[in-house]
Amino acid sequence: MTGEMKKILLVGDNPFHGISHLSQERARARGDTINHAEYAAHLVMTSLENGACGFMFSVSETTLSTLRIIREKMGSMCPTLYAIVPYAYEYVRLATHLGGTSGLAKKLGKQIAISCNVRAIMTGLKGVIKMDPEALMKTYLIYEISRIKSSAGKQQNLRSVLLHEIITDMALALDSDWLFKAYIDFVSELGIEPGFETRNFAYLVNKFREWDIDFGEITIATPFNKVGFQMNPSKKECERALAEVPESNVIAMSVLAAGYLKLPEAIEYIQRLSSLKGVVVGVSKEKHAYETFRLLKERLEA
Amino acid sequence: MSEESLRVAVVGLGKMGWLHASILNVMPNVQVIALCDKSSLLLKFAKRLFKKVQVVDGVEKLCDLDLDSVYVTTPISAHFPVVKAIYLKRVTRNLFVEKTLASSWDKARELCELAQGFGGVNMVGYMKRFAVTFSKAKSILNQGALGEVVSFEAYAYSSDFSGIQKGSKISASRGGVLSDLGAHIIDLALWFFGDLKVDSAMLKSMVKESCEDSAHFRVGQSGLEGLLDVSWCMDNYRLPSFGLVIKGDKGILRVNEDSVELKLNDGKSSMWYRHDLDDNVGFLLGEPEYYREDECFINSVLTGSKAEPSFSTASRVDYVIDQVKKKAGRNDWRNEKDIACG
Repeated sequence: MTGEMKKILLVGDNPFHGISHLSQERARARGDTINHAEYAAHLVMTSLENGACGFMFSVSETTLSTLRIIREKMGSMCPTLYAIVPYAYEYVRLATHLGGTSGLAKKLGKQIAISCNVRAIMTGLKGVIKMDPEALMKTYLIYEISRIKSSAGKQQNLRSVLLHEIITDMALALDSDWLFKAYIDFVSELGIEPGFETRNFAYLVNKFREWDIDFGEITIATPFNKVGFQMNPSKKECERALAEVPESNVIAMSVLAAGYLKLPEAIEYIQRLSSLKGVVVGVSKEKHAYETFRLLKERLEA
Repeated sequence: MSEESLRVAVVGLGKMGWLHASILNVMPNVQVIALCDKSSLLLKFAKRLFKKVQVVDGVEKLCDLDLDSVYVTTPISAHFPVVKAIYLKRVTRNLFVEKTLASSWDKARELCELAQGFGGVNMVGYMKRFAVTFSKAKSILNQGALGEVVSFEAYAYSSDFSGIQKGSKISASRGGVLSDLGAHIIDLALWFFGDLKVDSAMLKSMVKESCEDSAHFRVGQSGLEGLLDVSWCMDNYRLPSFGLVIKGDKGILRVNEDSVELKLNDGKSSMWYRHDLDDNVGFLLGEPEYYREDECFINSVLTGSKAEPSFSTASRVDYVIDQVKKKAGRNDWRNEKDIACG
């Protein structure tokens, strides 16, 4: 084994949202059971009992309910949390049902107002009046973080809040360095590690270096797997970028290439990348949770 | 044409406008010069986000920007007036238009005539052609691995309006399921099999009477029969899903966004997942096919070569949609298979 230190092992939530990047048919065939918060909480807790040390999730009604159940059952033994915002799929679905982005904005504004979070309301008002994207982003973050904290309880251990890949990658494409810097400053001020989910890791590394962003202060979640699935522009470029920033806190996603790889071969590849700080793996059955995290712990924490 | 890089504008700042503007912005040899939309709110927002880009509220304001090409990503109903204005005001001769080309076959035909008159490169955003699995299926068909193609069944499903309140105007604002979702699968069928004649069709309105929410139609071509089923009221389709099952005299081919499976009558079979088909791109936003279609259009403009699907090719989709609507009016399908929806 080439990894010098223990890797962070996180259980992911993709299966709870009906996501399978290998086959949409397979995701549909799993049925609704897995979307139930009670079942999802059971899978998360089984993973935690068998080697996972944290939970990475998109902030949705399902995962917030899952957090509430975990809090009730685990009390002060709360897992480390890595939250991804926004849950893009849910917002796109809502926008469709509400007649576009204006309908979505009204609904979100109403929810923020109902939340009675004074800081969020005040920042939001400023954002709307001045059409200030930075103020609007802050409002949204205050709102989402307060939802997570209220679901996870006082004992919560919210380690990092990561920007969803669609926002990260669009902002990268638009050269919006100000957005990244404002996000990092704001989330850091809240005592939370800022993070970014991306499917363009090599591009992100180049841009962040150009913008003098400190890799040691942020978390990055991005695909790393043996077959180069979703490693853009190529597996080679992503590996090279990772080697260039060994101080970074990179959590590997899609290590099983969405079920295309067997766990032992997936782990073998991850072991070779000593700069990776952790992995996140989603599980859809109790047996998977048990076997996956037992083996990950054995191979990556030995 | 500019020597350093292509000067591009995007008209229409909805979801697709932002997506294309973002992808174009990372492409070498491309400079996003201007964004155009009617909404003052979106324009204010765009001005804040894009400090180096001109933000304008009308196509006529693009005239003096020396543009090499324009992306039209407005709602479908606005494609016709916007594209026409771009040509007539001589903004550029190189146009990319999101699907469908127009809201009717008549308008699509008029745009094709305009495009032919003005020349340049034109393309419509049928991005499913650029998905690795559908490209692989096309290459298998071209190689004749299936032998003579006898029949096919195709579907395009989503849960976009599953469970939505009856009478809601939202689905109608998207122009109906045929143009929105069905256009992709119709384009794939035309790409795979060539021109198709609509024999019979049934449309259903689940949400609002004036707008079709599902469509079931039969198409044909000398010796080939096809059935297409389209709905945006399906349960459990988290993402829009497209697929075809194609039968030939030598075997069966199944293809969707995730995989391609070829089963031959002699017992041989092969399966390819996206993972096996080099699905990575220069910059991934949304799906990889968006980058590939933009790359195809930009390269065509740079080299002055034809891009596919061109206006002329894509207008055949508008023709099929038109025929489906006409045939459905004859109630040919009233006693045939009912459509599962909602």
